[in-house]
Amino acid sequence: MSAATHVVPTASPRRVSPRELGEVGALVLLVVVFTALNPSTFVTLTNIRTVLDQASVPLILGVGATLVILMGSIDLSVEGVMGAAGMTFILLSDNTRKTVDLGAGAIVVALAVGLALGLLSGLLHTRLRVPSFIVTLGVWFVGLGIATLLFGESVIPFLPDGGIKAWPSHHPLGVPNSFLLALVIVVAGLLVARFTTLGRMAYAIGGDEQVARDNGLAVDRYKVLVFVVAGGCGAVAGILATMQLGAGSATVGVGNLFTTIAAVVIGGTSLGGGRGGIHRTVVGVLLLVVLQNGLVLSGVSPNVQSAVSGAVLIVAVAAAAWPLRDRLRIVT
Amino acid sequence: MRPLRRRLLLVVAALTTVCLTAACSVVTRVGGANAKTYPKKDVVLVASVINTTNPYMVSMIQGAKALSKRLGVPLKIVDSQGSSQTEISKIQAILAQGKKVALMVNTVASSDAPTIVNAVKAAGGYVTIWWNKPDSFEPARVGNNFAAFQKFPGVVSGECTGKALAEGIGKKGDIIALAGVLDSTTSQTRVAGLKQALKAYPGVHLLDVQAGNWDPQVAFGVTQSLISKYGKKIDGVWAADDAMILGATEAMKKAGRFDQVKFASDGLYPPVVKLMKDHAGNDAVVGETFHRGYMASAIGLYTSYLAVTGKINPAKLPRDKRDSLFKLACVTPANLAEYSRYDDDIDGWVDTMVEKGPWNTAPAQLVGAGPEKLPR
Repeated sequence: MSAATHVVPTASPRRVSPRELGEVGALVLLVVVFTALNPSTFVTLTNIRTVLDQASVPLILGVGATLVILMGSIDLSVEGVMGAAGMTFILLSDNTRKTVDLGAGAIVVALAVGLALGLLSGLLHTRLRVPSFIVTLGVWFVGLGIATLLFGESVIPFLPDGGIKAWPSHHPLGVPNSFLLALVIVVAGLLVARFTTLGRMAYAIGGDEQVARDNGLAVDRYKVLVFVVAGGCGAVAGILATMQLGAGSATVGVGNLFTTIAAVVIGGTSLGGGRGGIHRTVVGVLLLVVLQNGLVLSGVSPNVQSAVSGAVLIVAVAAAAWPLRDRLRIVT
Repeated sequence: MRPLRRRLLLVVAALTTVCLTAACSVVTRVGGANAKTYPKKDVVLVASVINTTNPYMVSMIQGAKALSKRLGVPLKIVDSQGSSQTEISKIQAILAQGKKVALMVNTVASSDAPTIVNAVKAAGGYVTIWWNKPDSFEPARVGNNFAAFQKFPGVVSGECTGKALAEGIGKKGDIIALAGVLDSTTSQTRVAGLKQALKAYPGVHLLDVQAGNWDPQVAFGVTQSLISKYGKKIDGVWAADDAMILGATEAMKKAGRFDQVKFASDGLYPPVVKLMKDHAGNDAVVGETFHRGYMASAIGLYTSYLAVTGKINPAKLPRDKRDSLFKLACVTPANLAEYSRYDDDIDGWVDTMVEKGPWNTAPAQLVGAGPEKLPR
């Protein structure tokens, strides 16, 4: 291990590249355009809180997903992990099904479910040498299966009004608690990526896994750890989404896989691994959430929202990356 | 070379003709008005649902189980996991097992209907489709193996809930609407019904229609955005089904406006029954429709069962029993008790349905023939 600390390459997450500035520019441009289109509604305190609240779940998922993608792997299990953790959380909390109330213990157990599913992905991927794409696809359905079993055939479990259900949208510090939680996880993720062996190993494995192995690094151990972290992020996201909705649903995570992976890639993290970072994913998430919110506010017909949303994203990302088009690593 | 090639071509053409003739004759034999029927012991009931997590689908499974118990016929549930491909391949696998199938399928997409019906027909089974099929794909034209298509009318649903919402906000004010998945005919007919109902209320303005994709989480997010856009202007929220109204009520609660806004939606899910019984949010839920997944699945499965066992001959049924619209009740807080009682005794309702037949059991009697027409 002492050798490991010496040879871990110092990936360059600290430098702010023109590409990042491009993405931030695209975000700023979107905000300017939507503000111009909706002068009285877009930049209001209510809407800013709405956007931040909506960004919180994909931000949390984005932290785990970025670390996995930095390693050159992929984690498709987020929706299953969210469902399993969300259902575990609500059934162990005070709910209308009157199952059991463990209080804060419910969060601990739900987190453990997410961490265990992440561990399962990591172990299957590293021990059985099955590509992460396939393993996490399987774990997605394992998670969904657990959630479905927990949901069973009884009535939908609801959280009682007030209390923990109201927590995410409360804003004692000006911004919703859900966003503060996401912020804490993002900052923790940034610190892990920059200042710990785990973060550097993610960059090293994504940069060139064989070189990392040849240098005697414990690649498999760190891979498993990263998947565990991603599982933990999935669990937190599942718990938060369940609190926001106030009801249990096995499919509480539906739609989040696409948003998360898209946000990571749009932010500029390479699907090939080794390049990018959590700070970029934050910009990617905000781009997607602002776009979604802005289109609704601008009165764009829902029939064309998908197409407009896709087109705007392509233009925004292409424009942001235009100056660097010769140097980009294209993953086919 | 040339004569050899010509001879080969002739052989291929002859073979093709023979095969096509044989195939046509097989299809005619099993698919015509005289399709074979089978004794009860050879039959298996199959209920195919879109997923096993949506409360409506869970209710459909409950109905299928109750019917299986009542008839003493084994049941298989197909979970399509939201995918047409999964749905079709699982149904084909069951058909290949050899028992004669009485199938009720809530199709994932309209376009799945022909593939499923053809597979069932080729295996000598019988199918009743619920909710989705192309309008032009009619049971009477396909043959006996496509026993029936059944649904609760969407336009009536939209009209019911639209009227209740307009009345609920005092015939004056602004509302927002959450549609389901935009290309779903069920959603389209319900939204059309809403717009039709609002014509009678010139003081009520439909501010926005957005897609909530039948999903509470999506509906929650969309309602949050619409609250940002319209703020206190919103007097009422309409949704194409209750899964979405649950997301919308939550968003309004978080915005602190739950007791100032009225809601109307379709399906009368148990949590919504509770909201109405508890007079939550100053009687926030003003309009609902009553129809149940267990009623739909039991009616559909029983129709297929009667056909496969020869107790009905689909070819001799009137048009409304092949392409059917069932009664959908408009529910307000005033008549809620009339409908909420059915859920306490699903087995009892299924027993009555078996006694009275699939078309005559209150509150879901046959009321007309499809396909449903959209109002102009």
